[in-house]
Amino acid sequence: MASVTVHLPSLLVDATGCAPELPIEAVTLADALERLMELHPTLRVHLFDEKGRFREHVLCFHNEDNTRWRRDLSARLADGDTIRIMQAVSGG
Amino acid sequence: MKKQAGKVTVLVGTLKGAFVFRSAAQRSNWTIDGPLFKGWRVTAAERLPDGTFLAATASDVYGPALHRSRDLREWSQIEHGPTWPHGSSRKLNQIWRLAAGHGRVLAGVDEAGLFFSEDGGDSWVPVEGLNEHETRSAWFPGAGGLCAHAILFDPAHPHRIWCGISAVGVFRSDDGGATWHPKNRGVRVIIADQVQKEIGHCVHGLAQDPLDANTIYRQDHAGMYVTRNGGDTWESAENGLSSGFGFPIAIDRSSGRLYAVPLEADEFRIPPGGALRVFRSGDRGASWEPLTSGLPQSHAYMGVLRGALETDSLDPCGVYFGTTSGTVHFSADGGDSWRTMPCVLPRVLSVSVFAGST
Repeated sequence: MASVTVHLPSLLVDATGCAPELPIEAVTLADALERLMELHPTLRVHLFDEKGRFREHVLCFHNEDNTRWRRDLSARLADGDTIRIMQAVSGG
Repeated sequence: MKKQAGKVTVLVGTLKGAFVFRSAAQRSNWTIDGPLFKGWRVTAAERLPDGTFLAATASDVYGPALHRSRDLREWSQIEHGPTWPHGSSRKLNQIWRLAAGHGRVLAGVDEAGLFFSEDGGDSWVPVEGLNEHETRSAWFPGAGGLCAHAILFDPAHPHRIWCGISAVGVFRSDDGGATWHPKNRGVRVIIADQVQKEIGHCVHGLAQDPLDANTIYRQDHAGMYVTRNGGDTWESAENGLSSGFGFPIAIDRSSGRLYAVPLEADEFRIPPGGALRVFRSGDRGASWEPLTSGLPQSHAYMGVLRGALETDSLDPCGVYFGTTSGTVHFSADGGDSWRTMPCVLPRVLSVSVFAGST
């Protein structure tokens, strides 16, 4: 079990009342996200679509890696890892 | 009888949050608070019979959500809002309308559908008879998306409900929502389907006569219409309007007077001649008169969206609307004169009025 920190964007902090940084204990990235949903179930509708996938413009970074480029969310976590939820915004 | 006691609260939902305007019933001095839900679209709000408020928010990135408050100040998100079933190919993009009636709350959503709650919004059930209607395969989104945005009840007949869906038309249920029937006869069709001849009508807004639930006024893409028989047949009702095209329609629930904001159809969607005019009908849609006092009559090129015009329940009636340019205008004398709130907000999406509120 690793101790990691989840960072949430301001829009979700304001909407759900979550803290912007959340400590989570989990083994894998998938476990951490599920634990996050257990602790703050109102986040689920904002992060995942009707098919259970990350919404199209929601990004999830594990440390420096965009999880979109990984095959799945089975990566094992290490103490001190960060999971950062971001919005993919382009244009100006 | 004059109804001047209490207070008026107007919740203006915009592209980037909601703003709350409060006044005594005289409606001469207002306070402005906000933004609530900063950064979120605020698309609809409703007060339930127990005094609880619901507000719908949405984000292009983070999807839709429903929030509850007792005082319009502190809000908490409801965990299980309306949603399409897990695995569905439909997306719930936003909640367009919340309407309380007969012990239920109904939510009209995009992609078009209707949901109801019997526990004040904690859980929601899809209205399958409409959502899976036999014409569904021919429903096609318009410029405003594919949205269920208008919901009406019959106070005397709990099982009769109307729902308006953009680019599809009006449906009526006479059995509490189990089955639904298109009700668009007499309305000019926008895009006729080859098979489903009763849809393809682009209803923009509905307003119901307070004394006769079967008299309904319809601001449609194709013009202004009225039905006197619950939607079985519709007839044109745009005598005096500067344009048949527009989005919102509202009614003074005391006098039955109607309010609409015509726009130049339909590629332009701006006030005809650059003059922002509300039109009022005092004879149940037979004729309309322009209301201009206090509204910009030149170089005004904003729109007014379908959810952005509302009345209060005081006498004389208060009328409120917000524009796509972020201005908010109101009349405290039934439309005879208008004032502009001292603010410029983001694009206004919804206006909800709660007389006697906090």
